[in-house]
Amino acid sequence: MIQRLLPFFTLIALFVGLSIATPHFLTSTNLSSVIRQTAVINIMALGMTMIIIAGGIDLSVGSTLAMGGLLGTMAMESGAPISAGIAVGIFTGLVCGLLNGLMTTRLRINPFIVTLGTLGIYRGLALIISNGLPVHNVPQGFSFLGEGNLYAVPFVLWILLLCAVGVHVLLEHTRHGRYVFAIGSNPEAALYAGIAVAFHTTAVYTIGGLLTGLAGMIEASRLMTGQPTAGQGYELQAIAAVVICGGSLRGGEGSVIGTLVGAFIMGLLANGSDLLGISPYLQQAIIGAIIILAVAVDELRKRRLS
Amino acid sequence: MLLELRDIEKRFGGVRALRSGNLRLEAAQVHLLLGENGAGKSTLMKIVAGMIERDAGEMILNGHPVHFRRPAEAARAGIAMVHQESLLAPHLSVAENIFLGTEPGRVAGFVDRRKMMNAAARLIEEHRFPLQANWRVDKLSPAGKQLVEICRAIQHGSSILIFDEPTSSLSATESEEVFRIVRSLRERRMGVIYITHRLEESRAIGDQVTVLRDGETVFTGPAQGLSIDAMIRHMVGREVTQIYQRSPLPPGDELLRIEGLTRKPLLDDISLSLRAGEIVGMAGLVGAGRTELCRTIFGLDTADSGEVFVAGRRLRTRSPRDAVQAGVALIPEDRQHAGLARALPISHNMTAACLERVSRFGFLRMKEERRMVEDNARKLRIRMEGPRQPAGRLSGGNQQKVVISKWVFRGAKVFLFDEPTRGIDVGAKVEVFETMDALARSGAAILMVSSELPELLQVADRILVMRQGRITGELPGRTTQDEIMKLATLESAS
Repeated sequence: MIQRLLPFFTLIALFVGLSIATPHFLTSTNLSSVIRQTAVINIMALGMTMIIIAGGIDLSVGSTLAMGGLLGTMAMESGAPISAGIAVGIFTGLVCGLLNGLMTTRLRINPFIVTLGTLGIYRGLALIISNGLPVHNVPQGFSFLGEGNLYAVPFVLWILLLCAVGVHVLLEHTRHGRYVFAIGSNPEAALYAGIAVAFHTTAVYTIGGLLTGLAGMIEASRLMTGQPTAGQGYELQAIAAVVICGGSLRGGEGSVIGTLVGAFIMGLLANGSDLLGISPYLQQAIIGAIIILAVAVDELRKRRLS
Repeated sequence: MLLELRDIEKRFGGVRALRSGNLRLEAAQVHLLLGENGAGKSTLMKIVAGMIERDAGEMILNGHPVHFRRPAEAARAGIAMVHQESLLAPHLSVAENIFLGTEPGRVAGFVDRRKMMNAAARLIEEHRFPLQANWRVDKLSPAGKQLVEICRAIQHGSSILIFDEPTSSLSATESEEVFRIVRSLRERRMGVIYITHRLEESRAIGDQVTVLRDGETVFTGPAQGLSIDAMIRHMVGREVTQIYQRSPLPPGDELLRIEGLTRKPLLDDISLSLRAGEIVGMAGLVGAGRTELCRTIFGLDTADSGEVFVAGRRLRTRSPRDAVQAGVALIPEDRQHAGLARALPISHNMTAACLERVSRFGFLRMKEERRMVEDNARKLRIRMEGPRQPAGRLSGGNQQKVVISKWVFRGAKVFLFDEPTRGIDVGAKVEVFETMDALARSGAAILMVSSELPELLQVADRILVMRQGRITGELPGRTTQDEIMKLATLESAS
């Protein structure tokens, strides 16, 4: 039990430790900046949680994020209202995810390979469509999505909470969620039970794509540009957020709470090293080490249980 | 004395798998190790083979106390194990597997392939094994893979060979072959420890018997003169009437009809009919096409031609989903891989095939689910800690009942049981039979594929026999094993 709660303690310890170590940490400016920075990865990681529980993986989320942000901002540039632009971005993500899902289930290709391929394809498309140039001409009001406040709290936190509750309910309280666990835990048994494995697997990638599209719009709003090169390397951060607190790449395991904690641990580590003046080169190594350490501890716990 | 185990103890977390494991193995002896699932047989043997470490107790090999921390240490001391599930490298050849880790070398780690191939071929020839040194292991049958493991043990010069349920997935002829080999190993003065669930066969080859119960050695003595009833008594610790006999019901409406089902080359023009209340046995050798028949009916494989009717309606299956919705259930042979999500709770497993019954608008009704799961568990007498216990931690018999309950819950009408008692304790087998009987009494039709002829004779109302993809005959339930074997093995008279 103590080991299961270890990630929570780590998060709290990080929080307390940073509060003591530097006066710049516990300020509303810094905290909301942590939330804003983490939200993008966090929302992508929620979709990744479902995909990983279903026994899959999505390496293309970084490119999907760029596609979503780019097409969304291009729609706005060509005169579409902000809400319609956001919808275009989300829909783009959804289509990218749907294609990942269809290729995985219909062509029966390993999702690692499929999304490794689409990682390149989506990125390439984004660069072709934009001619490699960012979209700058977006309406001022668009910045509210990523930078605005609602009830004195960053607007993205509300979005994040809404998405988290949504994914949690979907996973734990619906038939679809139950099937996702069943498929990830033993795909053959799921097939024998008459579960529509292909449908539910595709759905999971589609939902993941939708959330990534949303994350892409938030990223675009924070930068106030649509960048065809946005989100490079985000896939690894999203996967890390899932596996740090109990998600298993073997499928069948993972939770929304775990992913949120995982994403915030990484967010605090990045923020803390910035504040403490640790070089960004070292930061990357620290985060990598934390990932391995966290998963090692979790594996130890499981081995002791079995 | 080749090997002596004294009061071996082993704990896994809170579970005490072994309290006092004792065994004395002589050279040139075939030593049967019996016990129910969970009695600690495999744990004890894994300790001998160095796969796990013991917590307490002594192990004396050739007069010296030993303690193995790794399988390699046990192998070096001359102990080899033939596993239930093959531990070979499937993409390598027979010869490469035999010499894995002990390749005849040249300088700098290069392998002398010709020397290796020749040595493997000589070994195979000497023992008259039906193998070729250059065959790839993944193309071999389960029996062939075991032969490779046996070759490995001989090649390594092992003095002790442990068999973990070697014949559980083999046909009668293949089992005979294993017996022949075991006897020849005894002639070479090797000590053989043989774990099995098949008590009838075990008496044919065993010299000495040791019985484990709840992690303790409760009996050890010569195999000669020990009756099967006595073996069972030691295993379960109480009197068990092994002879279950089902009293048939008058059959009701036809629930499953198959006409000319063909899937080349495994199924050839299969026709049969199952009625409500019936349990129909399906006998045949491994590879006769029985599992393939179940898979094709269930939509896992597609038929070339032929039709399947469920309760009078033509079934068009493109996937198991269609079969499930028509009321067909398949309880697969390979429970661990195809029947259960082992890491998920019992409740998830039970309701997986019919979540519609415990949900509204796609949302689960947890309380309703819990109530129905507990209800079902009581009815089927599933011994569990609670509905949230992972299904993989149940005993074999209880796991099987969870798989069955999934379909009871769904309200399936046609049940295809593929080897329903494989790897299940003697005591629990009768409970599985009783569950099948209860299903039939509630109006289901059951097809029971089994290689255990005595069980078919106990349970089935009538028995169909398959050979090489065809149904070669139908026998009444009170037939004899000889009659079945004749149909299963012989060419027809024509």
